[in-house]
Amino acid sequence: MSQTKRFKQGVSIFLVLTLAIGMFSGCGGSAQTPPSSAAPGSSSPAPQSKVADVQQQAQSSDDFDWKQYEGATVKVSFVQHTVADAIVSKLPEFTEKTGIQVEYSITPEASYFDKLSTSLSSRSGDPDLFMSGAYQLWDYSTAGFVEDLGNFLGDASKITSDYDFEDIVPSAVAALRWNGIPGYPVGEGAQLALPLAFEIYSLAYNTRAFAENNLEVPKTYEDLLKVCDALQGWNGPGSYAIALRGARDWGTIHPGYMSTYANFGAVDFAQQDDKLVSMVNSPEAIAMTEFWVELIKRGGSSSWSNYTWYEAGADLGAGKAAMMFDADNNGIHQNWDGASQEAGNIAWTVMPVAKEGDTPNSNYWTWAMAMNSASKNKDAAWMFLMYFTSKEFAHYASVDMNSLDPARTSVWDSDAFKSKMAKQPGYIETYNATIDSTTILFTPQPYFFETTTEWAATLQDIVAGQYGSVKEGMNALKAKIDKAVSDIDLSAYY
Amino acid sequence: MSQQTQLLDSSQNRKTMLILEDFGRNLGLTFYALFALFPLVWMVICSLKADAEMYNTVFVFTPTLDNYKAVLLGTDYFKAFFQNLVVSGGAVLLTVVAGVPAAYALARYDFKKKEDVAFQILSFKFAPEIMVILPVFLIFQKIGLYDTYFGLIWVYQLITMPLLIWVVRGYFEDISVEVEQAAQLDGYRWFDVFFKTLVPLIKPGLVASGLLAFIFAWNSFTFPLVLSGFNIQTITITSLRYIASDTVHYGQVAVAALIAVLPEITARLFIQKHLVRGLSFGAVKG
Repeated sequence: MSQTKRFKQGVSIFLVLTLAIGMFSGCGGSAQTPPSSAAPGSSSPAPQSKVADVQQQAQSSDDFDWKQYEGATVKVSFVQHTVADAIVSKLPEFTEKTGIQVEYSITPEASYFDKLSTSLSSRSGDPDLFMSGAYQLWDYSTAGFVEDLGNFLGDASKITSDYDFEDIVPSAVAALRWNGIPGYPVGEGAQLALPLAFEIYSLAYNTRAFAENNLEVPKTYEDLLKVCDALQGWNGPGSYAIALRGARDWGTIHPGYMSTYANFGAVDFAQQDDKLVSMVNSPEAIAMTEFWVELIKRGGSSSWSNYTWYEAGADLGAGKAAMMFDADNNGIHQNWDGASQEAGNIAWTVMPVAKEGDTPNSNYWTWAMAMNSASKNKDAAWMFLMYFTSKEFAHYASVDMNSLDPARTSVWDSDAFKSKMAKQPGYIETYNATIDSTTILFTPQPYFFETTTEWAATLQDIVAGQYGSVKEGMNALKAKIDKAVSDIDLSAYY
Repeated sequence: MSQQTQLLDSSQNRKTMLILEDFGRNLGLTFYALFALFPLVWMVICSLKADAEMYNTVFVFTPTLDNYKAVLLGTDYFKAFFQNLVVSGGAVLLTVVAGVPAAYALARYDFKKKEDVAFQILSFKFAPEIMVILPVFLIFQKIGLYDTYFGLIWVYQLITMPLLIWVVRGYFEDISVEVEQAAQLDGYRWFDVFFKTLVPLIKPGLVASGLLAFIFAWNSFTFPLVLSGFNIQTITITSLRYIASDTVHYGQVAVAALIAVLPEITARLFIQKHLVRGLSFGAVKG
């Protein structure tokens, strides 16, 4: 080998190594993990009753030194959402009260989590606060990106006596607590975030469609299928009975499907020999999926496999769909005066169950605010969090603005909110009938998005007839999910 | 039938054929124009529809300017528009200032690894943006370029620079060295030769590649999504905000998109005469 060639090879190897080291050191960020981040197995000292005790020792809002972090700047990442609009409109008041400057970015949901994941993984401390759902927090907290808010809620010097933590809807608070151990349900462990708004799942329906066809609103699965038969084409060509999500992503599984899945008595995972094992091929899961496929075929849109939140809501508002089994507040946005063709004709009822009187178990989605564990302004960020999860702000966001569903019980109980929602028949009643049996029905684990997206893809394939039976499809799904979570070793957490 | 009548008939047939040919050509072009312009027309229609009429009407509806009011007065759309203009304009300006001399050097001077350098510049376009975004993000955070105009202008060079250098290099190669030498013999200094002789000759390519570079920069999504947000938000990111959490406000999306294409259309109309010539000349360089 000539000297020149060896030199060239040496230079090439040096450059490749330099590039690789540069990238890995860059991607790795700081190796230091702040001690207060929500580490797996950690337990926050702040369930609601304990916070109530702490509040008794705290100063009132009038005596509290809101200016103690004057001059600090807090960076906040918002997803495009009605609650973000409400917060942004109150930022001048917050800055005036605290002297804290706020820089914010608002990003549409479709791109939001890509951007956020990049920012959090850099460990740069930007943003200090970020909006998130509970499912994403399982991922982020496992990586050590999320501050345990119990550290603030449990400190009498950081909270005001009138913060009234117990007023925050308990199931929403619980949905954002997790001990970081895969397979353990939410409700214990670190407080990963505080809720700003949430959604539960119910049946929205077009009152005109039911009145014109002399139909009763369905209460059971059997009723639902019968009504679907009667409502196909109810409003001319292209109209159909029930709007359901069907796109090939996790969003298809978590609303109506997962709620019904739980109501059939099915679970997604079980723990066996320190492993998580998928239960999607259990008899209950297969029976439920057979019902769901039947529902799609007898009542769903011909474009069901493309349907997300937007298409489902838009079809209900446009008079194409007579019913929608989705988030309770999805239909609300179609029912404000002038918002859609069918505005004023939409009403809500509890989701159908096996037999009348059964408990309607609903899955949960929360939009919450979490703190970056690498933040360099944690105390100032906490002031922001406390201010924008307060009773006063929650009332403003839901009554004066359009943030739904409010995360404060006092807002649900207020006359102003009831008056605002008077034109949304059944909405508050459905909430009251469902909220006590609402929780996150998925088993927390760090591969949530991978497994639920696979689930949605299999559901599409079953509906498309690519499997000989639902059982065959669910067996194949179980194998894929088991493989995806195979590296989770539960013994490592004990 | 006499020969004269036959000639007359033949001439009339030719005329008829020509008329039919013209008619057919114009009809075809009209159909093509309708096909090409239809998305634009559809956006204009959507921008004038209320949300309530979006799914239920096609051409017959009650027009409203509410979407324009909501976008232009109710949001910070103009701020994003201006910021996009600064970032894209700045990126193209920097590309021209740095890229034209680079293209000249690659065309005129012989130095070691010249083709490797040229290929290296082109290779910036090979990798998708998402592949390099995390290291770039981390570097920007560390050196203080995150969420700054200069940071975006700099990183946009990955989009704009390769195109301009490769197109303009072809132009320089096509200009005879004798042209420069003749000008120098006439007493021109090198800078005068460059600006008074060479730049006018490469103008079609420079204008065409500059416009394309501007369009690519203007429409960039991944870089501004990750590398900015708190102080700077470009129009590509802002336009998505009308896909709100409650519903998709298609009318507002249409308004945002319609206004966003205006700079590109305006720039194209101004330099249309250079565009086709510039790109076709660049395309056949050997």
